[in-house]
Amino acid sequence: MTHAGFLTFAHALSTVGFYLLAGVTWCAALQVTLTRNLFHSALWLAVTLLGVAGLYLYLGAEFLAVVQVLIYVGAILVLLIFGVMLTARIADPAVPALNRQALLAALAALGVGWALRLAVRQASALPAGPVAAVPLATLGHGLVTTYLLPFEVLSLILVGALVGAIVIAHPERRR
Amino acid sequence: MVPLSHILTVGIGLFAIGLFGALSRRNAIGILMAIELLLNAAALNLVAFNAYLGPGAPPALGQTVALFVIGIAAAGAIVGLALILAVYRQQRTIAADEIHLLKG
Repeated sequence: MTHAGFLTFAHALSTVGFYLLAGVTWCAALQVTLTRNLFHSALWLAVTLLGVAGLYLYLGAEFLAVVQVLIYVGAILVLLIFGVMLTARIADPAVPALNRQALLAALAALGVGWALRLAVRQASALPAGPVAAVPLATLGHGLVTTYLLPFEVLSLILVGALVGAIVIAHPERRR
Repeated sequence: MVPLSHILTVGIGLFAIGLFGALSRRNAIGILMAIELLLNAAALNLVAFNAYLGPGAPPALGQTVALFVIGIAAAGAIVGLALILAVYRQQRTIAADEIHLLKG
Protein backbone atom coordinates (compact mmCIF):
# COMPACT_ATOMS: atom_id res chain seq x y z
CA MET A 1 0.00 0.00 0.00
CA THR A 2 1.33 3.43 -0.89
CA HIS A 3 1.77 6.10 1.72
CA ALA A 4 -1.15 8.20 0.43
CA GLY A 5 -3.33 5.11 0.25
CA PHE A 6 -2.43 4.23 3.81
CA LEU A 7 -3.33 7.74 4.96
CA THR A 8 -6.74 7.50 3.26
CA PHE A 9 -7.26 4.10 4.88
CA ALA A 10 -6.36 5.40 8.34
CA HIS A 11 -8.64 8.39 7.80
CA ALA A 12 -11.59 6.17 6.88
CA LEU A 13 -10.86 3.94 9.85
CA SER A 14 -10.86 6.87 12.29
CA THR A 15 -14.13 8.15 10.82
CA VAL A 16 -15.76 4.75 11.31
CA GLY A 17 -14.30 4.69 14.81
CA PHE A 18 -15.87 8.05 15.57
CA TYR A 19 -19.37 6.90 14.64
CA LEU A 20 -18.91 3.62 16.52
CA LEU A 21 -17.76 5.51 19.60
CA ALA A 22 -20.66 7.95 19.33
CA GLY A 23 -23.13 5.06 19.08
CA VAL A 24 -21.64 3.27 22.07
CA THR A 25 -21.73 6.50 24.09
CA TRP A 26 -25.39 7.10 23.25
CA CYS A 27 -26.46 3.53 24.04
CA ALA A 28 -24.58 3.58 27.35
CA ALA A 29 -26.13 6.94 28.24
CA LEU A 30 -29.60 5.53 27.52
CA GLN A 31 -28.81 2.58 29.76
CA VAL A 32 -27.75 5.01 32.52
CA THR A 33 -31.18 6.60 32.52
CA LEU A 34 -33.28 3.47 31.96
CA THR A 35 -31.63 0.72 34.02
CA ARG A 36 -33.57 -0.16 37.14
CA ASN A 37 -30.57 -1.24 39.20
CA LEU A 38 -28.71 1.91 40.23
CA PHE A 39 -25.36 0.13 40.53
CA HIS A 40 -25.62 -1.08 36.93
CA SER A 41 -26.53 2.47 36.05
CA ALA A 42 -23.24 3.64 37.56
CA LEU A 43 -21.32 1.05 35.54
CA TRP A 44 -23.03 2.22 32.33
CA LEU A 45 -22.09 5.77 33.32
CA ALA A 46 -18.45 4.60 33.34
CA VAL A 47 -18.87 3.34 29.76
CA THR A 48 -20.41 6.67 28.73
CA LEU A 49 -17.62 8.68 30.34
CA LEU A 50 -14.96 6.52 28.70
CA GLY A 51 -16.74 6.99 25.38
CA VAL A 52 -16.65 10.75 25.79
CA ALA A 53 -12.94 10.46 26.65
CA GLY A 54 -12.46 8.58 23.37
CA LEU A 55 -14.28 11.38 21.53
CA TYR A 56 -11.89 13.86 23.18
CA LEU A 57 -9.00 11.79 21.83
CA TYR A 58 -10.56 11.92 18.36
CA LEU A 59 -10.82 15.71 18.64
CA GLY A 60 -7.12 15.98 19.51
CA ALA A 61 -7.61 16.85 23.19
CA GLU A 62 -5.39 14.21 24.78
CA PHE A 63 -4.97 16.04 28.07
CA LEU A 64 -8.72 16.41 28.51
CA ALA A 65 -9.18 12.71 27.78
CA VAL A 66 -6.74 11.86 30.57
CA VAL A 67 -8.42 14.34 32.93
CA GLN A 68 -11.81 12.86 32.06
CA VAL A 69 -10.64 9.35 32.93
CA LEU A 70 -8.84 10.46 36.10
CA ILE A 71 -11.47 12.77 37.56
CA TYR A 72 -14.75 11.40 36.22
CA VAL A 73 -14.12 7.67 36.13
CA GLY A 74 -11.55 7.70 38.91
CA ALA A 75 -13.12 10.09 41.40
CA ILE A 76 -16.70 11.18 40.71
CA LEU A 77 -17.90 7.73 39.69
CA VAL A 78 -16.35 6.08 42.74
CA LEU A 79 -18.05 8.72 44.87
CA LEU A 80 -21.39 8.00 43.19
CA ILE A 81 -20.97 4.26 43.75
CA PHE A 82 -20.23 4.97 47.42
CA GLY A 83 -23.45 6.94 47.56
CA VAL A 84 -25.39 4.09 45.93
CA MET A 85 -23.97 1.58 48.37
CA LEU A 86 -24.71 3.75 51.39
CA THR A 87 -28.26 4.73 50.62
CA ALA A 88 -30.23 3.02 47.89
CA ARG A 89 -32.26 -0.15 47.91
CA ILE A 90 -30.45 -0.95 44.68
CA ALA A 91 -31.81 -4.36 43.74
CA ASP A 92 -35.39 -3.92 44.95
CA PRO A 93 -37.63 -4.81 41.99
CA ALA A 94 -40.68 -3.30 43.71
CA VAL A 95 -39.21 0.18 43.48
CA PRO A 96 -39.88 1.73 40.05
CA ALA A 97 -36.90 3.50 38.49
CA LEU A 98 -38.85 6.28 36.81
CA ASN A 99 -41.44 8.61 38.26
CA ARG A 100 -44.95 9.27 36.97
CA GLN A 101 -43.93 12.10 34.66
CA ALA A 102 -41.52 9.94 32.64
CA LEU A 103 -43.55 10.30 29.44
CA LEU A 104 -43.68 14.08 29.83
CA ALA A 105 -39.93 14.10 30.52
CA ALA A 106 -39.27 12.10 27.35
CA LEU A 107 -41.36 14.56 25.34
CA ALA A 108 -39.49 17.52 26.85
CA ALA A 109 -36.10 15.94 26.16
CA LEU A 110 -37.08 15.14 22.57
CA GLY A 111 -38.35 18.69 22.10
CA VAL A 112 -35.16 20.26 23.43
CA GLY A 113 -33.02 17.90 21.34
CA TRP A 114 -35.04 18.68 18.21
CA ALA A 115 -34.75 22.44 18.81
CA LEU A 116 -30.98 22.24 19.34
CA ARG A 117 -30.58 20.09 16.24
CA LEU A 118 -32.57 22.66 14.27
CA ALA A 119 -30.26 25.39 15.58
CA VAL A 120 -27.18 23.46 14.42
CA ARG A 121 -28.78 22.80 11.04
CA GLN A 122 -29.57 26.48 10.55
CA ALA A 123 -26.17 27.77 11.65
CA SER A 124 -24.97 29.60 8.56
CA ALA A 125 -21.25 28.95 8.46
CA LEU A 126 -19.98 26.03 10.49
CA PRO A 127 -16.25 25.59 9.87
CA ALA A 128 -15.67 22.66 7.58
CA GLY A 129 -12.37 21.22 8.69
CA PRO A 130 -10.42 21.05 11.93
CA VAL A 131 -7.39 23.19 12.63
CA ALA A 132 -4.14 21.88 14.07
CA ALA A 133 -4.42 20.25 17.50
CA VAL A 134 -3.78 22.53 20.46
CA PRO A 135 -0.40 21.79 22.03
CA LEU A 136 -0.50 21.01 25.73
CA ALA A 137 1.92 23.87 26.44
CA THR A 138 -0.63 26.38 25.11
CA LEU A 139 -3.29 25.01 27.43
CA GLY A 140 -0.98 25.12 30.45
CA HIS A 141 0.32 28.58 29.59
CA GLY A 142 -3.22 29.89 29.30
CA LEU A 143 -4.12 28.48 32.71
CA VAL A 144 -1.41 30.48 34.47
CA THR A 145 -1.74 33.71 32.46
CA THR A 146 -5.02 34.58 30.75
CA TYR A 147 -7.27 32.28 32.76
CA LEU A 148 -5.45 32.60 36.09
CA LEU A 149 -8.38 34.21 37.90
CA PRO A 150 -11.01 31.59 36.94
CA PHE A 151 -8.47 28.90 37.75
CA GLU A 152 -7.96 30.23 41.27
CA VAL A 153 -11.70 30.78 41.74
CA LEU A 154 -12.24 27.15 40.75
CA SER A 155 -9.79 25.98 43.42
CA LEU A 156 -11.65 28.14 45.96
CA ILE A 157 -14.94 26.58 44.87
CA LEU A 158 -13.47 23.10 45.28
CA VAL A 159 -12.23 23.85 48.80
CA GLY A 160 -15.59 25.37 49.69
CA ALA A 161 -17.41 22.34 48.31
CA LEU A 162 -15.18 19.98 50.29
CA VAL A 163 -15.67 21.82 53.58
CA GLY A 164 -19.38 22.21 52.92
CA ALA A 165 -19.80 18.54 52.11
CA ILE A 166 -18.06 17.54 55.33
CA VAL A 167 -20.25 19.92 57.36
CA ILE A 168 -23.47 18.71 55.70
CA ALA A 169 -22.75 14.98 55.79
CA HIS A 170 -21.23 14.93 59.27
CA PRO A 171 -23.45 12.97 61.66
CA GLU A 172 -25.03 15.09 64.39
CA ARG A 173 -23.59 14.57 67.80
CA ARG A 174 -25.81 13.15 70.49
CA ARG A 175 -26.56 15.79 73.07
CA MET B 1 -12.47 14.27 10.14
CA VAL B 2 -16.24 14.22 10.37
CA PRO B 3 -18.06 17.54 9.94
CA LEU B 4 -18.55 19.67 13.05
CA SER B 5 -22.34 19.35 12.92
CA HIS B 6 -22.09 15.58 13.46
CA ILE B 7 -20.05 16.04 16.63
CA LEU B 8 -22.51 18.67 17.83
CA THR B 9 -25.31 16.19 17.16
CA VAL B 10 -23.59 13.64 19.38
CA GLY B 11 -23.48 16.28 22.10
CA ILE B 12 -27.16 17.13 21.56
CA GLY B 13 -28.13 13.47 21.87
CA LEU B 14 -26.18 13.11 25.12
CA PHE B 15 -27.82 16.30 26.41
CA ALA B 16 -31.32 15.08 25.56
CA ILE B 17 -30.72 11.70 27.22
CA GLY B 18 -29.32 13.43 30.31
CA LEU B 19 -32.28 15.81 30.42
CA PHE B 20 -34.70 12.88 30.24
CA GLY B 21 -32.85 11.14 33.06
CA ALA B 22 -32.74 14.24 35.25
CA LEU B 23 -36.49 14.78 34.83
CA SER B 24 -37.67 11.18 35.13
CA ARG B 25 -35.40 9.36 37.60
CA ARG B 26 -36.88 8.72 41.01
CA ASN B 27 -33.63 8.10 42.82
CA ALA B 28 -31.68 11.24 43.73
CA ILE B 29 -28.35 9.61 42.86
CA GLY B 30 -29.80 8.70 39.46
CA ILE B 31 -30.64 12.37 38.96
CA LEU B 32 -27.05 13.26 39.90
CA MET B 33 -25.75 10.80 37.27
CA ALA B 34 -28.03 12.34 34.64
CA ILE B 35 -26.68 15.80 35.52
CA GLU B 36 -23.15 14.48 34.95
CA LEU B 37 -24.34 13.41 31.48
CA LEU B 38 -25.60 16.95 30.82
CA LEU B 39 -22.27 18.48 31.86
CA ASN B 40 -20.40 15.98 29.69
CA ALA B 41 -22.48 16.91 26.66
CA ALA B 42 -21.68 20.59 27.16
CA ALA B 43 -17.96 19.90 27.60
CA LEU B 44 -17.93 17.73 24.48
CA ASN B 45 -19.36 20.61 22.44
CA LEU B 46 -16.79 23.01 23.86
CA VAL B 47 -13.93 20.71 22.88
CA ALA B 48 -15.43 20.22 19.42
CA PHE B 49 -15.62 23.98 18.82
CA ASN B 50 -12.05 24.28 20.08
CA ALA B 51 -10.87 21.74 17.52
CA TYR B 52 -12.74 23.29 14.58
CA LEU B 53 -12.65 27.07 15.07
CA GLY B 54 -10.11 28.95 13.00
CA PRO B 55 -7.05 30.95 13.97
CA GLY B 56 -9.13 34.00 14.89
CA ALA B 57 -10.34 32.33 18.08
CA PRO B 58 -8.18 32.40 21.22
CA PRO B 59 -6.15 29.19 21.36
CA ALA B 60 -7.28 26.46 23.78
CA LEU B 61 -10.21 28.50 25.11
CA GLY B 62 -12.67 25.66 24.58
CA GLN B 63 -10.42 23.10 26.22
CA THR B 64 -9.79 25.41 29.17
CA VAL B 65 -13.51 25.95 29.73
CA ALA B 66 -14.08 22.19 29.40
CA LEU B 67 -11.49 21.68 32.16
CA PHE B 68 -13.42 24.14 34.34
CA VAL B 69 -16.64 22.27 33.57
CA ILE B 70 -15.07 19.03 34.80
CA GLY B 71 -13.90 20.78 37.98
CA ILE B 72 -17.32 22.30 38.65
CA ALA B 73 -18.91 18.90 38.02
CA ALA B 74 -16.66 17.40 40.70
CA ALA B 75 -17.67 20.09 43.19
CA GLY B 76 -21.34 19.59 42.33
CA ALA B 77 -21.13 15.83 42.77
CA ILE B 78 -19.46 16.21 46.17
CA VAL B 79 -22.06 18.62 47.54
CA GLY B 80 -24.95 16.72 45.95
CA LEU B 81 -23.88 13.44 47.52
CA ALA B 82 -23.42 15.07 50.92
CA LEU B 83 -26.95 16.48 50.71
CA ILE B 84 -28.32 13.09 49.66
CA LEU B 85 -26.59 11.39 52.59
CA ALA B 86 -27.97 13.99 55.01
CA VAL B 87 -31.50 13.57 53.62
CA TYR B 88 -31.19 9.77 53.79
CA ARG B 89 -30.19 9.96 57.43
CA GLN B 90 -33.31 12.03 58.21
CA GLN B 91 -35.89 10.44 55.91
CA ARG B 92 -34.61 6.89 55.30
CA THR B 93 -35.29 7.36 51.59
CA ILE B 94 -33.70 9.18 48.66
CA ALA B 95 -36.57 8.81 46.19
CA ALA B 96 -37.08 12.35 44.96
CA ASP B 97 -40.89 12.09 44.96
CA GLU B 98 -41.06 10.74 48.51
CA ILE B 99 -39.23 13.72 49.99
CA HIS B 100 -41.94 16.32 50.51
CA LEU B 101 -41.12 17.94 53.84
CA LEU B 102 -42.03 21.39 52.55
CA LYS B 103 -45.28 20.35 50.90
CA GLY B 104 -48.27 22.00 52.59
